[in-house]
Amino acid sequence: MTRTTLTNPAPVRRAGLPAWTGLVLTRVLLALAFLALWVFAASRMPTFVLPGPAKVWNALVALTQTPSFLHDVGMTTYRVAAGFLLATLVGTPLGLALGSSRALAQVFEPLLAVMNTVSSAIWAVFAIIWFGISNATTIFVVFMTAMPLILTNVWQGARNVDKQWIDLARSLRFSRARILFRIHLPSILPYFFSGARLAFGFGWRVSLVAETLGSSDGIGYRLRQAADLVQTDQVFAWTLLLVALMLALEGGILKPLERHLFRWKPL
Amino acid sequence: MTQACLTPALRVAGLSKHFGTLEVLRDIAFDVAPGEIVALLGASGCGKSTLLDLIAGLQSPGKGEITLAGEPAAEFHRHSRLGYLFQEDRLLPWRTVQDNVALGLEPDALPRQERRRRANAALKAVGLSDFGDAWPHALSGGMRSRAALARTLVIGPDLLLMDEPFSKLDPQTRTQMHEELMRIQSGSGNTILFVTHDVEEAVVLADRVVLLKPRPGRIREIVPIDLPRPRAPTNPDVTETTRRLRLKVQQ
Repeated sequence: MTRTTLTNPAPVRRAGLPAWTGLVLTRVLLALAFLALWVFAASRMPTFVLPGPAKVWNALVALTQTPSFLHDVGMTTYRVAAGFLLATLVGTPLGLALGSSRALAQVFEPLLAVMNTVSSAIWAVFAIIWFGISNATTIFVVFMTAMPLILTNVWQGARNVDKQWIDLARSLRFSRARILFRIHLPSILPYFFSGARLAFGFGWRVSLVAETLGSSDGIGYRLRQAADLVQTDQVFAWTLLLVALMLALEGGILKPLERHLFRWKPL
Repeated sequence: MTQACLTPALRVAGLSKHFGTLEVLRDIAFDVAPGEIVALLGASGCGKSTLLDLIAGLQSPGKGEITLAGEPAAEFHRHSRLGYLFQEDRLLPWRTVQDNVALGLEPDALPRQERRRRANAALKAVGLSDFGDAWPHALSGGMRSRAALARTLVIGPDLLLMDEPFSKLDPQTRTQMHEELMRIQSGSGNTILFVTHDVEEAVVLADRVVLLKPRPGRIREIVPIDLPRPRAPTNPDVTETTRRLRLKVQQ
């Protein structure tokens, strides 16, 4: 056994535990180390600065039992989803249009640069001036953040559609609409997907900023409320919840979707 | 019947084409009879691919006439399709091999089942029956070429155009593809017009070779190849004909 290990380590590794157990093990160790550090740090600080894991867990459990909990999570999800959906509906056709016309792209490129440089916090301030305390404020901020990201990615995808495939489709007498659906859209999908993923992540984050400023419910509003009342354990609990939600979304929807959509790609 | 025999599958007459001030083709004229295999042979820069694109209707028409099965090209393209085999296989990576082959059938209003059936029949004809569900990236170069050939044949084209179709394959796979193509052609009687810069390929495949000279592209000579089929590239008659044709090309 020892001899094989020395001369040829590869089969031994294969004969041992499967590769993913190693990964799981390192992840668990990482989580444990983080938790230990947290407990240690919390023990030396006042609770209102850094509550310990047990206290945060209790706050989280209490949080899920408040009557407004589902409403708050639902409202934030709704605003993010609405802003994101609008961004997709506007950004995709615009990206396609810019990708198909160089002249159009030249005209609108500076506008895109402006939209990309204006901070989400500034959009939030504008949104409050224009929409007041309402759903529209958060949706607007999510939209303004997500739309340029989707647009830019779709645009880039549209520019990279292989001319050879279009010629192939033309030689088969495909109509323009059919070429759009059979060649352009599948070619752009990977670009769209990475743009959409980015946009959704940013959308989530800025939605909280918008909610702390311009709404009377939702996760962001509750976060600010907890902070104002120095309920630090609740702030941590909401944070934990958000992280868990994002991980669930990534692992439960985005990853499987990506694996299905791009199953044709070589590994 | 006699009418069909008299009507050439393709007639090019007095065809000239400019790209801006650059003259690409000058006064090209030749016929291709139904079931005939014709090669366009010439060095790069003699407008071979442009000529093929003009016949396929992928380029804005030049001066002169292109007639397909007795009809002006523009009219023909409205109701019929040509098979066009490109230099690259151009398989769409996000479609399975079977769906790639079925691509050409999509503009026809066929039931899904029928499209499947025809695609599978075409895959069988090129010896890829077992690979219909594979993704293109999993196939070897030769297999991808076969899949592209199946995609071209599945629409049952009256005229098959090929633009240096197997030039990216290794010599052995290429010879295999030639045999495959000739086997399929002898069964279906496809009319084939193909572009090549490889003299041997022209001799092995073609009934007649249209020799082009460059800048601007003009016809130098049309050479009939009267050799029995199948023509192995190692056959002495084939090598001798290749040698003589090569001399003509180099003139």
